[in-house]
Amino acid sequence: MTFEWIQIPYALLTLFIILNYGLLMTAVVRKLAARVGGRPGIPVYQNYIDLVKNFALRSKISHGVMYYLGPVFRLTGGIGLILFVPTIYGSSWAQNFAFAGDLVLALYFVFFGTLGMALGAGESGHPHSAIGVSRGLSQVTMAELPLALAVYAIAVQYQTLSITEIVAAQQGGLFNWTLFTNPLAVVAAMFAFVGTMMRSPFDVVLAPQEIPIGPPTEYHSAYLALMQTNRAIFPIAKTIIYMNLFFGGATSWAEFAIKAFLLYMIPAVIGVVHPRFRVEQSIRFFLKWGLPVGVLAILTV
Amino acid sequence: MAQIALATGFVLILAGIYGALTNRDILRMIVAFTIADTGVNVVLVAVGFLPGRTAPILDAAVPVAQAAERIIDPVPQALVLTAIVIGLGITALMLAYAYRLFRLRGSLDISNFTELKW
Amino acid sequence: MVSPVLILAIGLGTAFSLGLMKPARTRVLFGITLTALGVMSAIALGWTLALATGAAQTAEIHTAGVAPPFAINLRVGLPEAALLSLITLTGLLAALSMRAALLRLGRGSQAVLLVLVMAVSGLVMTRDLFNLFVFIELIAIATAGLVLLSQDERAIGAGFKYLVVSQIISILLLVGIIFTYHATGSLNIDDITVAPVAFRGASLAMFLLLIALIVELKPFPANGWALDIYTSAHPGFSALFSAATGSAALFVVDKVVAPAGTEWLPLLTGIGLLSFVASNIVALRQENDRRLLGYSSVGQLGLILAVIGQRDVLGDAYLYVAGGLILSHAVAKAGLFWMSSMVRGRKLEDWAALRTRAPMVLAFATFVAMLVGLPPFPGFYAKWDLAQALVAAGRLPVLTLILLGVLIESAYLFRWFGYAIKREAAENGLASNPVDCGITFATVAGGWALGYLWGNGPEQFNLLATLPAITAVVFILLEPLDARIKNGLAIAALLGWFAMVAGDYDPMRLIFAAVMIPGGAVILLASFTEKGRRLGFYPSAMAMYAGLALLLEATTFFEFFAAWEVMTLGSYFLILRGRMSEPHALSYILFSLGGAFAILTGFALASGGVQPHPIDGLQDVAAADLAPWVFVLLAAGFLTKTAAMGLHIWLPGAHAEAETDVSPMVSGILLKAGLFGLFLMLMQLGRQSLYGVDLTVVLAYIGAISAFLGAVLAVFQEDAKRLLAYSSISQMGYALFGVALMNHLGWLLAMMFVINHYVYKSMLFLAVGGVYKRTHTKLMYQMGGLITLMPFSFVSVLVGIIAMSGVPPLSGFGGRWIFYNAIMDADLRLPLILIFMAGPVGFLYLFRLIHTIFLGQLKDPHRKLKEAPVWILVPQMIFVAFLIAFAVLPGMALQKVDGYIGSIFGDQPLVWHGRAITSEFGYWNPVAIMAVIVMVFVAVFAILIAKNHDAQMVKQFNIVFSAERPYRPETTHFAWNFFAPYRKAMGFLETPVVTSFWGGVTGGINGAGEFTRRFYSGNGQTYAAHVLLFVVAVYLIAMGGIA
Repeated sequence: MTFEWIQIPYALLTLFIILNYGLLMTAVVRKLAARVGGRPGIPVYQNYIDLVKNFALRSKISHGVMYYLGPVFRLTGGIGLILFVPTIYGSSWAQNFAFAGDLVLALYFVFFGTLGMALGAGESGHPHSAIGVSRGLSQVTMAELPLALAVYAIAVQYQTLSITEIVAAQQGGLFNWTLFTNPLAVVAAMFAFVGTMMRSPFDVVLAPQEIPIGPPTEYHSAYLALMQTNRAIFPIAKTIIYMNLFFGGATSWAEFAIKAFLLYMIPAVIGVVHPRFRVEQSIRFFLKWGLPVGVLAILTV
Repeated sequence: MAQIALATGFVLILAGIYGALTNRDILRMIVAFTIADTGVNVVLVAVGFLPGRTAPILDAAVPVAQAAERIIDPVPQALVLTAIVIGLGITALMLAYAYRLFRLRGSLDISNFTELKW
Repeated sequence: MVSPVLILAIGLGTAFSLGLMKPARTRVLFGITLTALGVMSAIALGWTLALATGAAQTAEIHTAGVAPPFAINLRVGLPEAALLSLITLTGLLAALSMRAALLRLGRGSQAVLLVLVMAVSGLVMTRDLFNLFVFIELIAIATAGLVLLSQDERAIGAGFKYLVVSQIISILLLVGIIFTYHATGSLNIDDITVAPVAFRGASLAMFLLLIALIVELKPFPANGWALDIYTSAHPGFSALFSAATGSAALFVVDKVVAPAGTEWLPLLTGIGLLSFVASNIVALRQENDRRLLGYSSVGQLGLILAVIGQRDVLGDAYLYVAGGLILSHAVAKAGLFWMSSMVRGRKLEDWAALRTRAPMVLAFATFVAMLVGLPPFPGFYAKWDLAQALVAAGRLPVLTLILLGVLIESAYLFRWFGYAIKREAAENGLASNPVDCGITFATVAGGWALGYLWGNGPEQFNLLATLPAITAVVFILLEPLDARIKNGLAIAALLGWFAMVAGDYDPMRLIFAAVMIPGGAVILLASFTEKGRRLGFYPSAMAMYAGLALLLEATTFFEFFAAWEVMTLGSYFLILRGRMSEPHALSYILFSLGGAFAILTGFALASGGVQPHPIDGLQDVAAADLAPWVFVLLAAGFLTKTAAMGLHIWLPGAHAEAETDVSPMVSGILLKAGLFGLFLMLMQLGRQSLYGVDLTVVLAYIGAISAFLGAVLAVFQEDAKRLLAYSSISQMGYALFGVALMNHLGWLLAMMFVINHYVYKSMLFLAVGGVYKRTHTKLMYQMGGLITLMPFSFVSVLVGIIAMSGVPPLSGFGGRWIFYNAIMDADLRLPLILIFMAGPVGFLYLFRLIHTIFLGQLKDPHRKLKEAPVWILVPQMIFVAFLIAFAVLPGMALQKVDGYIGSIFGDQPLVWHGRAITSEFGYWNPVAIMAVIVMVFVAVFAILIAKNHDAQMVKQFNIVFSAERPYRPETTHFAWNFFAPYRKAMGFLETPVVTSFWGGVTGGINGAGEFTRRFYSGNGQTYAAHVLLFVVAVYLIAMGGIA
């Protein structure tokens, strides 16, 4: 695969679709969660209102260069992640820039936004930001581990690191999905999925009650708007990776929409019915449950 | 005869060493070592002694031609002479030391000179 | 050529004639004494030269005109002549050193000194047993006389104890001599050969003779008397006592045991080893400098006695080995005693006064290195040959004990050296004067000259004749120059050397060379910051670089080992320069020496005694039974250098406490030497199994554990440089894991780490060092908010941590990509888990580093700080540029190496087309990655600027939390114990298991020393009893063995 200029508008189109899907879907999920809690919840277009409002804010301050760049890193991370992973299998245009790198690139690029965001938040000087970062990083060390093991397991299983080839190998029926060919790896990966989607019981990083929204505490206006954009697309980007690796990928936008929604609902459902873990509790949880499954996964392929 | 001398020599050596190790008084130690030295000298002579032979002095009584058969080995005797001289030197030096030690501390007890240790 | 017997005649004659002269003219008398000693030295040296060059033959001198055994005969061959030179020269210098006392006490004391030198010389020359006795007694009398030269009144007691033991020795000796005579009918040593030693009486005679001579060597534990003399006598005399008398006594033992037959050798070996190891253990607890030197002396004599015990297997090398050790010991010990006469205090710490005179430090370093047997001194060459011979003869236990002893000895010697460099120096603690300094430097010069001579031995690789080593020595001479000039010269030297050799290297070696040599030059740019003369820095640094340069050049085992030791020594001196680095430098040198000894043994095992043995010859043993053991030993040595978990405890302190520009050298560059060694070893030996365990798998586990635990420990550090140091352990763990995978991509991964770790670790150490220069603290929680004040440092830390964490688009990602491809076809699954765990942990410590230093709240004392000095920033910016270039174009360094590794493994898993790389499993297009990220970043940034270009900069405390506005940065900067939640969950991994283990080992040895030294009660009678019990015990043990 090589680069052609037409890929740029194609990629932008993909991005646009995913952004809108993300904005709507997260709103729907929030509404569902509110209903479970007996509240009416937000209208489904609330995210658009927030976005526009934040972009339009006139008073804005800066704490310094990194603070300024933090949201840029964050959003670049989210967009980049989408661009490095093919969205729709078999589509002639929704392949994005996947030729730049394989699965390893996607795995490591996840951290790009996190790092930049953490740096920007750090410069604000707000201790809550730093505490949020400290908690988030501590938790992610263990939460990502089952995923890393699962990815290794399926890379060995399919003998490739190319996402496209992994999706290709799962075509031709439900039972060709990794979910059925290698359930251990999928279970392990789902531990990581639930652990990193910023929902209960693993959302102490944002901890809306004690340390208002964690790392982004000091962000407002267009900064916050960029972050909100990212918050809409990043989970989708992640979901796409999981979908591609474990659930047969998507051959059409419809399939994509359904699978992404269902996958997204897993942590959402778990979240609404579980109280929150402290960081060390979640680390121990992953050590006790996620890690052994991951180890089994790599030992059995 | 030689065996008796040898045995006496060793007894003297052991007695001397025993004395040197058990007497704390420096002068007594020196005397004990002199006894041991004497013992060594006796052993030296006894080893060189051959029964039935004469002193290794070449004169009218022992012609040079028969010397090899008739005299005892002169070497140990020469050694003894040297050893006696050296022993004397060492004894004298030890006595000088004893004097210095006494002047230093007014005592001749060897267990008083143990500040250098460990 | 005058007859060597003149040495005796002049000594004796002058001694007598002194008595005839006017006692009042003290200076004239002293002049005569010196002249006599000078002439004696000249004769001895003349003979040494003549015999060494072949201009003269071994001289046999028959006294009384009769052939032996009817008269005494003397012999002067090369060993005798060399020893005579040593003795007479030591005598001459000792006379100078004791000049005040000799002038005070007048002609008598001078005559005694002459008699002593004469008698010791006679001891060396004579071939007659009884003559031996006479000389020994003369030495005893003269020694007892000279002990009194000391101002220390305790010396009188010491002298008497000495005489008591002398009496016992003379009794044993005389009885032994007479029975030997009785058995062989001759007093000539050479006739012992022909007489049968088989029957019991003769062997008892021989035993008495030998044991008397051995007791003369002060073997442990029958040596309390000698230690007291060392402690209390005039140091000028102690030098003579240790260097001249001790060496001569050793020679006599050798002389007697040579004809007596090899069945006596195990006895010498046993006594020697016991004495060597035990004396060194006891010395660990010594605080008095001269007594410490005394323990070291008796230890060294024990070592050489043990070497005499190996004469049956040393063959032709015997003289070379024993001579090298004797001369090293004698020169160094004499030099140290003479130096101690200048130091006013008697505690080891008092030697810190030496610091006021830089050349004195050089002298001290020279002597310590000589004693421990480090290059370029004779003891080093001797130790190597000894190890080869011992292993070839299957005497591994002997070698092990010797190396153990050397290690313990180096522990207290280097600890002492550390005191001298680091402890508070007392005002006026050094009574330096031209004469004593002259003596010391004559000794130093002698030591170096001997080093050159020994290097020039037959078929020997002469370290001091190599260009890098010469350069390092030249930098000693350049010391008076300004630091900046020296720095420029050093950089030029490094670049020049690289230009000279780079063409000959294969790609892999070239990468190592590029990191070590020009890489070193880049770091040296930071040294332009230092003003003044910066004494000691450049010789040490250049020694380290010389070692590295020679390491890459090495083609034989010996060259490799010599380079390794030079590098270790140089880096030790460098590390010791740090402000608080005294204990860490010590543990560094001890671990390094321990590792080096493992390498030495491994090489000896592999070579089977064949010298010189090419490194490529290692593959010939790959199939042999001993190959796994060679593997284990070499790997242990190399892993010590890369600080694998378990052998790592030296690293954090050593790297963290070093100076700003030294930390990157020892971390970024030096650690790679261990990897280089591992590569060489694995290339030759391949996979090896021991008891069915694949050793490369063990290596992989060690690597994985290091990678994980190193990272976890880094997370918990408050000290920025310690954090980076632990991170090095982790990074080297990754590299080790890659090497141990034993496949193409694993090795490529390790090579990638060689480059990357050099770049980002050097960069981070420099950045943190620059911050330290401004804030004067390394504790991160005391910093904060420095980003606006030190933007360049921030940028390099930022780039550094992105690169290190493996986040695209910087070069660390390439490493991760190769890693995934490498493990795809590896069978190792379990250690992988640790590696996977280590990855995210790396983020923790890296984020902490950048956050707590540069972000958060600026502290009040730091408000007016400036950016780090420009010369510290220059190399950092070079590294930043390199990292970005390397990220986009990894092929510029890796493609050739990839091809080369392919030629080793015979495969080519990576396909390089254009700028993209494809493997069997995946693909990597660094240019595309960079382009996409930059494009997206710029686009998003443009949006933000469009909206927020008018954002208003606010002041530091313009934040609100908990409904309060903070006023103090201290309460607001979240930094201390930054990862508290992580510590709660994973803190158990911090338990200092390894540290406690090594602490227990050293504590145990020290405790043994403390316990054992109580044995020396100070009572002369007890000492005499020790001697007798020693003799009886040895008799019971030995006769059981021989008869």
